[in-house]
Amino acid sequence: MYRLGIDIGGTFTDCVLIGPGADGATYATSKALSTGDDPTSGVLAALTELSARVGVPLRELLAATERFGHGTTIGTNAVLERTGARVGLITTAGHGDALAIMRGHGRAAGRGIEDVFRVRGAAPPAPLIVPGAVLELHERVDAAGSVVVALDEARAAEAVAAFVERHRLTSVAVVFLWSLANPAHELAVEKIVAAEAPGVFVSLSSRVSPRLGEYERTVGTVLNGYVGPACTRYLSSMADRLAAEGLTAPLLVMQSSGGVVSATAAAEIALGTLDSGPTAGLTGTAALAAANRHRNVVATDMGGTSFDIGLVVNGEPVVADESVIDRYTYRLPHLDVRTTACGGGTIARRDPRTGALRVGPESAGSQPGPACYGRGGTDATVTDADVVLGLLRPESFLAGRMPLDEAAARAAVGRLADELGLGLEAAAAGILSVNNLRAATLIRQQTLERGLDPRDFVLYSYGGAGPVHAFGYAAEIGVREVLIPLGDGASTLSAYGIAAGDAARFVEMETALRAPFDDAALSAAIGDVTERARKALVDAGVFEEPRVDVWALMRYQEQLMHSLEVPVAEAGGAGLASRLVEGFLQEYAQRYGDSPAAAFQAAEVFALRARARVPGSVPQISGRPGGDVTGAAGRSAQVFWPDAGERLLTSVFDGERLGGLDRVTGPALVELPHTTVAVPRGATLTAEHGHFRLLLPSPEVGR
Amino acid sequence: MSHADSKVVWDGVARGYVPAEPLPIDPSLALHEAGTAEVDPVTFEVIRYALLNANVEHGQTLQRLCVSPVTMLTRDFQPSILTQRGELVFLGPYLQYFSNAQSLTVKWILEHRSADPGIAPGDMFLSNDPYVGTPHQPDTIVAAPVFTDGRLFCWVANVLHHSDIGGSVVGSFCVDAADIFTDPPAFPPFKIVEAGRLRPDMEQVFLRQSRLPNVVQMDLRAAISANTATVRKVEALIARYGADAVKTVMTRVLDAGEETFRQRLRQIPDGTWSHRLYAEASHTGDTGLYRYQLTVRKRGDELFVDNAGTDPQAGSINVTYAGLVGAFLSALTASLTPDLAGAYGGVYRLVHFDPVPGTLSCADFPAAVSPSGVFTMELLISLAGSVIAKMVACGPPELRDQALGPAQPHWYGTIIAGQLGSGAPYIAVNANNMIGALPAGSDTDGMDFGGHFWIPEGIASNVEETEQLYPMLCLFRRALPCGADGAGTWRGGRSITEAYVPWGTPGMAAALYIDDSFPKAVGPFGANPSSMGRVTIKHGVGLAERFAAGEVPQDVAALPGVEQPVDHKGPPLMLGPDSVIVWTGANNPGYGDPLARDPRDVARDTSQGWLDPAAATSVYGLVWDAEGAVDGAATAALRERRLAERLAAATPPVAGPPERAGSDVVLRPVGGELAVSLVDGRPAQWASLTGRALLGSVTDDYRSNCATRDTPVNDLALEFGTRPGRPGAAMLLREYLCPITGRRLTTELIRTGDTPVTDMLLAGEGR
Repeated sequence: MYRLGIDIGGTFTDCVLIGPGADGATYATSKALSTGDDPTSGVLAALTELSARVGVPLRELLAATERFGHGTTIGTNAVLERTGARVGLITTAGHGDALAIMRGHGRAAGRGIEDVFRVRGAAPPAPLIVPGAVLELHERVDAAGSVVVALDEARAAEAVAAFVERHRLTSVAVVFLWSLANPAHELAVEKIVAAEAPGVFVSLSSRVSPRLGEYERTVGTVLNGYVGPACTRYLSSMADRLAAEGLTAPLLVMQSSGGVVSATAAAEIALGTLDSGPTAGLTGTAALAAANRHRNVVATDMGGTSFDIGLVVNGEPVVADESVIDRYTYRLPHLDVRTTACGGGTIARRDPRTGALRVGPESAGSQPGPACYGRGGTDATVTDADVVLGLLRPESFLAGRMPLDEAAARAAVGRLADELGLGLEAAAAGILSVNNLRAATLIRQQTLERGLDPRDFVLYSYGGAGPVHAFGYAAEIGVREVLIPLGDGASTLSAYGIAAGDAARFVEMETALRAPFDDAALSAAIGDVTERARKALVDAGVFEEPRVDVWALMRYQEQLMHSLEVPVAEAGGAGLASRLVEGFLQEYAQRYGDSPAAAFQAAEVFALRARARVPGSVPQISGRPGGDVTGAAGRSAQVFWPDAGERLLTSVFDGERLGGLDRVTGPALVELPHTTVAVPRGATLTAEHGHFRLLLPSPEVGR
Repeated sequence: MSHADSKVVWDGVARGYVPAEPLPIDPSLALHEAGTAEVDPVTFEVIRYALLNANVEHGQTLQRLCVSPVTMLTRDFQPSILTQRGELVFLGPYLQYFSNAQSLTVKWILEHRSADPGIAPGDMFLSNDPYVGTPHQPDTIVAAPVFTDGRLFCWVANVLHHSDIGGSVVGSFCVDAADIFTDPPAFPPFKIVEAGRLRPDMEQVFLRQSRLPNVVQMDLRAAISANTATVRKVEALIARYGADAVKTVMTRVLDAGEETFRQRLRQIPDGTWSHRLYAEASHTGDTGLYRYQLTVRKRGDELFVDNAGTDPQAGSINVTYAGLVGAFLSALTASLTPDLAGAYGGVYRLVHFDPVPGTLSCADFPAAVSPSGVFTMELLISLAGSVIAKMVACGPPELRDQALGPAQPHWYGTIIAGQLGSGAPYIAVNANNMIGALPAGSDTDGMDFGGHFWIPEGIASNVEETEQLYPMLCLFRRALPCGADGAGTWRGGRSITEAYVPWGTPGMAAALYIDDSFPKAVGPFGANPSSMGRVTIKHGVGLAERFAAGEVPQDVAALPGVEQPVDHKGPPLMLGPDSVIVWTGANNPGYGDPLARDPRDVARDTSQGWLDPAAATSVYGLVWDAEGAVDGAATAALRERRLAERLAAATPPVAGPPERAGSDVVLRPVGGELAVSLVDGRPAQWASLTGRALLGSVTDDYRSNCATRDTPVNDLALEFGTRPGRPGAAMLLREYLCPITGRRLTTELIRTGDTPVTDMLLAGEGR
């Protein structure tokens, strides 16, 4: 039986197949151009290529597929391009402007630190709802969940019908204050819409994002209504076409939470598909990390314009609550993938004020792209610096399919070098240093903010521009061990994550339990959230018995903006409360030291988070046999290594011919069809289970 | 200091502290002075980026560890890195009027504490003394020296607002204080941490006057922890790159900021720009009106700022030197150098202050200053924003268009106190005015709910968060409509209004609230004033009946009950279980004459439901046709009629009808209708753009050649009305009109009988 993972990206649709093998799983990939408006065609093209590669006819392949996972950007694109449904908002009287007011944060949310100072020129993001389509209903629930003003359902029905018609709505989002404490009024309106305006897509905030804070809940619910109808249409059409091709297994859809759910469930809570792309890479990393017995991993994905990082800590991918899309903030548990503008296309320039070398955040993108792409770009980029140094060889870029213009790279970097008063190579090495610092800073901020030392992590590096720079940014944070997962499969790691990831769902529940806790009340709440998570997974079309993990979201009760996740090891038993508080104190001290905690009073469990999952456990992949290192080492090149500060004779290996436990000693370049692994002097690279393991010489100064 | 002729010196004790140059520092304290190392462009950037991020992370740590909502949400804090001599290197994107607070305090520590008790590694100093460096007492600075090889290398410091540090009013905004002796205590710098050890005795001293000592203690510990972490980061940088290299980067960042600002100033003609704003009620019970004035002179590539024309210090509406400078610099950098992203120390070198002491904006001891955080600081930022907008309007368009203009003149909102169900006291600082609104610019409407430019990054509470923390229920939080308030060619951003009732509690008290009797700010180049902040309190409104009838009341005016008259800075107001309190923020000022607003923009605001169609006619002269579309011809005709009515009611210029510029004369726009005629490419005469009236030499005040019309501001429109007998009754809106077209060149708010300030003068040939 096979597992299939398909990831639709902006340019390519990647496909991964994991099959049975004699010793460990076998693994195959394919790639096809994405087909914008009709993504299914691209998917079928990738599948057809895959079936050719493995020599199994498509129909047979699909019939023998037990799990078919799929990652889609259709929701994300609908938001960014504003092509979603005609959504209207139904909310509590007096609070219809919350979405427009954006807590006064619409100018700054999600913007980089150096941008935030520029106040003039900022404008609010385009609205998500049909302009003016807000219906305020007289109803009110208080913080305790008690009804203050009852909903007059007859009056509401009349108002809702007129509202849907007046604004020609295809979707409504229902968000009442305190529906997280008492969803009765939202449930009543759901029925009213079904009766008065059948066919209109309904999203309830108590279902989509039942967390404290009406603004973020409104955004989440409106976004769900905005992308829901399109996701529903798309996923059912995809399921139909795949079934027609012979797929019998249900179509599973990747969520930003790192798990997959059935297409039906994914369409209902479409919000979960937003930003699921970067998550899939981290999910793939987590699956591989488990197989490789790596407990703590920094996953780094460096592409053309951006650098994404995520953490796996104690075997679990780190989860975050808050997301920002186009300056709209919402809350939904998702794998915490952070991004900064630093990649191959990032532009380097001289800061006219200080004379310093600045790298980023502007990017040459893919059009015109780096100067060496020969598409008219003249700015020096990180990729141009790679070419100047010899880390990328023009004739073998993308396996020779896209020769690079070395002269253009040297000219671009040379102009900058002249402005800086540096030599050509020194300028190129400097570009890498600054770019690596920016990457390392993002990693350090995420680890240090959790009180973790990046030196205790293994770094996974993927994306086109990752493996060529990993030696630099790993050294900058003091990491010695780097894994290039799946060898050249790095660019399809997301598809792998979709194929290998767990079936999983998160459920969150506000609790507002304050210390000293009552063990019984706490146990009851934990039991409740556990049951809800189980049910959610069943609703998502997964019927196997899941494993349920529960975390208490805790803080000192006064610290509104703070949140620590404390794992709940056992749901019941005496001393549950004190165990939780103990766990909280330990985590707090690890992050902030003992001094600040001494003054605090009572801790609280303000919410519980449960994850029900059926592990998608994948056996270790068996890599290709090796033993022909000499045969793989065809050539050599003169490469300027930044640390050495000079050109060194460097062996160049064909990575596709490395396998088994082959070992390469730096300085070396290992070239793969979609990337190059740079192995500096003193480092070694070993092939292991289809991955490459890079061991850097000695720890650099790390902070 | 030209005003230093009196015997009182600027010592931080009897008068606000002004550091002497060179700063007297005891020779026993060795300073790391180098900073001339050769640093290549790559290492430079690596160190700069690391320092910038160390400061950013400092702010993020404060945000996570602090507990008071006002600090967490409104970003009422600021981390900085300063040189060994206290010059600012990096400021974070948090409250910007703390621009100079750490710098002044650190300099004072260097001058007065370097000999005894000395400044040593592992020490931290605490101060909340406004005469030394903070805007008001709740804003408390903790400053940590960083040493290398026994020499003082630099400082890491933060300032944050504490919820209550004592004084006569809950929340420490003591509007009833007559002087500093009824204000919260002010502590000159003392060692809170000595050789790495928190001093429990001094911590207790600081907490003793607080009504919320636990909360203050938590925030203080957060400040200390965040400093400690940042000091370690700077030490690690020094260990890796060497002290000289790190210092060189700090010095060059400062120099680069200075050079950037010099270049921008050189693009603006030399001249003098002034503005005045009025406040009301110097303390509870007072009904006086008070003038604040700022004048900026630009000469070459430096600025000279004074506050001459400001009234003598009074009641509790004062700030010290620190507040005046902090407010001005926050408005200046936001408008002219936001691209420096907080590396503002070099800019500050070029701004010279010469304030008149003993005044509302530069008070001497023992004036009370604690309410300044919601009144006087905002008024001064608004004032500075107006002066700066005028100045840059005389420069090239790319500078003019970046100006931010007048901010909201007060921090509207409430501080409500009461008891939780448990009997424990609570203080609810309603910081939701963080939602704010931006003023209009020369080419853009102000952003609705755009926050505040002097807090680039801040956020308001969710209603649910407020209701979870405090026993109250929010009847509504809604957007304010556009109207006459904030109107202009470009309109100001819209803000919000909220209504609360006590919930699950017998009552609560509004300790702080602001009800304006006249608008405090007016937009540049002929715009209308901004909104008046309002507070309505009504008792016996029959809430239970309404709720039972299925209604959440949305219109407090329509409810039964008795409205309690509210003053601008009144005593605490008690709310019973059937009382409601409503407060409004303020739509910010617009830019230019409302009658010149593009009818399409008016129609858009109307179609969105933001502007009442009737107001579109009354404020903007827009005429709707039978289908509800804009009637272009009728609109043009109505606007012409309005302009003619203005002139008919106006006092013509004393010098008689103006000359008109010939068709060969080139007029360069300044702002709105105001322009200058150019002779040989240089400004020669002021002029009106449409009427082409010549309004006198640019070295004179153009307004003497305008027609003027005065209107009591309370009568201007319903939006500016209030009950009779309040201080606002004496305030006029004076329109300076082109004597040919009737278009507004500028407007000012002025008290009946006062002499206007000179608006702007450009320097003549040879200066």
